[in-house]
Amino acid sequence: MTTILITTNQGNIKAELDDAKAPKTVENFLYYVNKGHFDNTIFHRVIKDFMIQGGGFEPGMKQKDTDQTVENEGKNGLKNDKYTLAMARTSAPHSASAQFFINTKGNDFLNYPGQDGWGYAVFGKVVEGQDVVDQINNVKTTRAGMHADVPADAVIIEKIEVVQ
Amino acid sequence: MSTESMNTPTRALALFISDLHLQASHPRTADAFFRFLSEQAPQAEALYLLGDIFEYWAGDDDLETPFNAAIAAALRELGERGVAVYWMAGNRDFLVGPGFAQAAGLTLLAEPHLASFGGRQVVLVHGDAQCTGDLKYMAFRAQVRDPAWQAQFLAMPLAQRKAIIAGLREGSRSAHADKSMDIMDVAAEAVTALHAQADTIIHGHTHRPALHRQEGLRRFVLPDWELDEEPVRGGWIAIDADGNITRHTLDGSAL
Repeated sequence: MTTILITTNQGNIKAELDDAKAPKTVENFLYYVNKGHFDNTIFHRVIKDFMIQGGGFEPGMKQKDTDQTVENEGKNGLKNDKYTLAMARTSAPHSASAQFFINTKGNDFLNYPGQDGWGYAVFGKVVEGQDVVDQINNVKTTRAGMHADVPADAVIIEKIEVVQ
Repeated sequence: MSTESMNTPTRALALFISDLHLQASHPRTADAFFRFLSEQAPQAEALYLLGDIFEYWAGDDDLETPFNAAIAAALRELGERGVAVYWMAGNRDFLVGPGFAQAAGLTLLAEPHLASFGGRQVVLVHGDAQCTGDLKYMAFRAQVRDPAWQAQFLAMPLAQRKAIIAGLREGSRSAHADKSMDIMDVAAEAVTALHAQADTIIHGHTHRPALHRQEGLRRFVLPDWELDEEPVRGGWIAIDADGNITRHTLDGSAL
C-alpha cells in the first residue's frame, strides 16, 4: 500500500494506492508522480455526482505531454465505488497514461467488463479529504473551447507526492 | 504522446428499454428489471420506458397490488436519484395514467415522441401503431385508445376489468398463432412516415431486436425481456453525450 498526498487549492486529499491489486497501474502512476508530472495540473473535467478528472492539463487548459501508457487492469476486482481513484483513457482500452479520476458516486457501470469489455481500472481510494473531493464535485463548470465540464475557477493540483 | 481527448469515462444521456411484460408470475424477469434500475439506470441522465413494461394494466387503481406498487416505488426511487424517467404506452399497458405517473415520479409521453440527444434527433414510438398491416389489431387499437372507450372501461370495477383483460390476453395468444410473421412487424410505409421526423427511430413491440440501416437512416429495435423461460432475452439501448447509440445485452456488454 503506497500512500499519496494530493495538494490542491481546495485542500488536501490523501489516497492509498493498491499495489497488490493494480501493480502496473500504480507503478505507472508513481512514475508520473515522481517526475513531477502532476505539479501544477488541474481537475479539468468535473461532472457532478459522477467523477472529477485531472492530471492532464495545466491551468489555462494547456495539455501536458505524456510518454508512457499502461495496460488496462480493470479486471482486478476493485470497484468504481465512491471516492476510489481510477485511470482515465480514450476508447482504446490500454491508452491510460497520467490522467486519473476520482469517483464521486458509486459508478458500477464503469466496472469490468463495463460498456466496452474492459471497464476502468481502479487503483486506489481516498482515505482523507473526502470533504475536499465533495467540494470539487460541487464547483460550477463551463465550456472552454472544445472542452465541456471545465471548472469555471481552476481547481489546481499543486503537487502529488508519496508520503508513505 | 497522445493529444486525443480523454473524455472517458462518460455517462449515458439516456437509456431505453421496452417489452418487459412484468407480471408476478415471472419473478426472475422482475428481478432483472429491479437490478437494471439500481445498477444501470443511475448512470444515465434519463430513462425512457417505451411500452409494455407491464404485461397488462387494468387501471391506476391496480397500484394497490403489491407487485405493481413495488415497481412504482423503484421507479420513484430512480427519479429521486436524479434520473428523469419517461413512460410511453404499449399495446398491453396503455391504460397506465396520471395516477401511476405521479406514484412513480415519471412523465408520460405521447407518441410519436421526438427528442434530441447530443444534437441528434431521435423519434420514439412503442411500435404497435406501425404494424399497419395487421388490420384487426389496428381496429382494436383505435377502439381502446379512444378516451371515451377508456373512461367507460375504467368506470367498471377493477375485478371486472381484470377479468375482461384476462379474456383478451387469451384471445391474443390464439390469434397470434394464426397471424403471419409479416403483419406482426412494422410496415415499411409506417417506418418511412416516422423517418420524415428523424433519421433515427427507436422502438420496441416486435420483440425482434435489431439495427436496420438504410442510406443514413437507422431504426433501432429493442428486445423484449424474459428470464423465466427459455430463451433468456433482454437488453437496452444507450445514447451518450455525443449522440452515439449502442445496444447492450443484459450483462451490459455492447453488441
